[in-house]
Amino acid sequence: MIELRNDRLAFSFPEVHRDARCSISFMRTLRIPDDDHEYPLPPGLGPFPLHHVDDYADRVPQGWSDHGGVFMPMYQAEALWISFDGQYPMAVKVSAGKIDAVTGKPFRNELRRRPQDYVVIPDQPWLDGFCVRKGLIRQFVAMPLGQGYTAEEQLTGAAEHGGLQIVAYPMKASRYEKLMAERIFAHYDMDAICCSPPEPSAMGLAPGGMMRQEVYPDDHGYSAWERDVRSRCFVHLLNSGQYRTVTGFAPPYEPPTAGDYTEAGLPWFEYFDTDLEALEGAPRLDRLDSVGARRVKEGKPPLDEGANVKPKPAQIERLRKNHAVRDESSAW
Amino acid sequence: MAFGGYIREVRELRRRGDRSFSLRQVAGRVGIEPAYLSKIERGQTPPPSERTIRRLASELDEDADVLLAMAGKVSQDLQEIVMLRPKLFADLLRQLREAPDHAVLRVAREIRDGDW
Repeated sequence: MIELRNDRLAFSFPEVHRDARCSISFMRTLRIPDDDHEYPLPPGLGPFPLHHVDDYADRVPQGWSDHGGVFMPMYQAEALWISFDGQYPMAVKVSAGKIDAVTGKPFRNELRRRPQDYVVIPDQPWLDGFCVRKGLIRQFVAMPLGQGYTAEEQLTGAAEHGGLQIVAYPMKASRYEKLMAERIFAHYDMDAICCSPPEPSAMGLAPGGMMRQEVYPDDHGYSAWERDVRSRCFVHLLNSGQYRTVTGFAPPYEPPTAGDYTEAGLPWFEYFDTDLEALEGAPRLDRLDSVGARRVKEGKPPLDEGANVKPKPAQIERLRKNHAVRDESSAW
Repeated sequence: MAFGGYIREVRELRRRGDRSFSLRQVAGRVGIEPAYLSKIERGQTPPPSERTIRRLASELDEDADVLLAMAGKVSQDLQEIVMLRPKLFADLLRQLREAPDHAVLRVAREIRDGDW
């Protein structure tokens, strides 16, 4: 089952094992420059607020009630990263607009072994974007559906789904017990308002700037997963401009630009796990236009990233598994 | 167990593995005087404010709601939830009063999965 707890999706599979729990949250962050340079990991600026679609069924865009799930507000061109937290191994599929973020293939509920279309908790502490090449991702950036920027629209030609789709599979209890006995776990130390409201608008995720991040292969093997048991959630993205109209709450503040953040001397991050190789990226995703590239093609000015986005070495904190804390919300 | 005694027990347990859990250092991190924390632990003063209890819970990796309950308090956010719909929540809580844990857990709200 999945519950909403403190703006986190709390997954639990008591029918598999009492320890089979994990949580997934969606972190606000800087949009890194979309200039084909490679950037380290930007900080977390706190989680996006999440709401049950059912609580606002009469005000959310058409079709969302059919999907069920949750929704959260995002500004146009705002970025996010997905934080995975838990000790019990889980295989988690992440799709944007029903395009798999690891392989670029169309969404399906089942786990795919080759190419691996899922990430493994707790090896993978977070995912910041589409896995385009080995060790490189393109940042998740929210764009309105219907303008052609999202991965979904570029790959399918249709703006049908938007949002994020998450499916989690727990490890088989027997494998988990064996792992516990061997005690080979990695222990993570992780923790525009309208007078006459327009139709609330849905958003999808487009590929943004390039970031150094590895998506790790399944170290447990395909047979480790309880493939008959899964929980899934559709995470809708609501344009922040309509958030108050739908929920009555003020949307979160706009995040600082990457330039302002860097100028303030605040940290960026690099994560490395020397034990694990990275998955190859997905050529299908690598061929997509980033938001910046598409704007150039359309003769539009680049998005404002602020000046001097060059994190100095002293600003880059290197994180290992036991120091994988990247949420700098307290700094803001 | 009384609130103060429990805090002392947990802090001392942590201190065995990490000397930064001394009375002085914990008090410093929580933002209170060591003498005040000492009095709290020995039950010589009533439990501190919700804010301080929350900081203690965070510092000692304990559940804030459990510590608040031990101190005879209910957290402000829970009070606000009940005050918003008093009859509904009062009825619900009374009905669940004798229910076993697993029955209470079933009341937890699941995120609905639809057709997509």
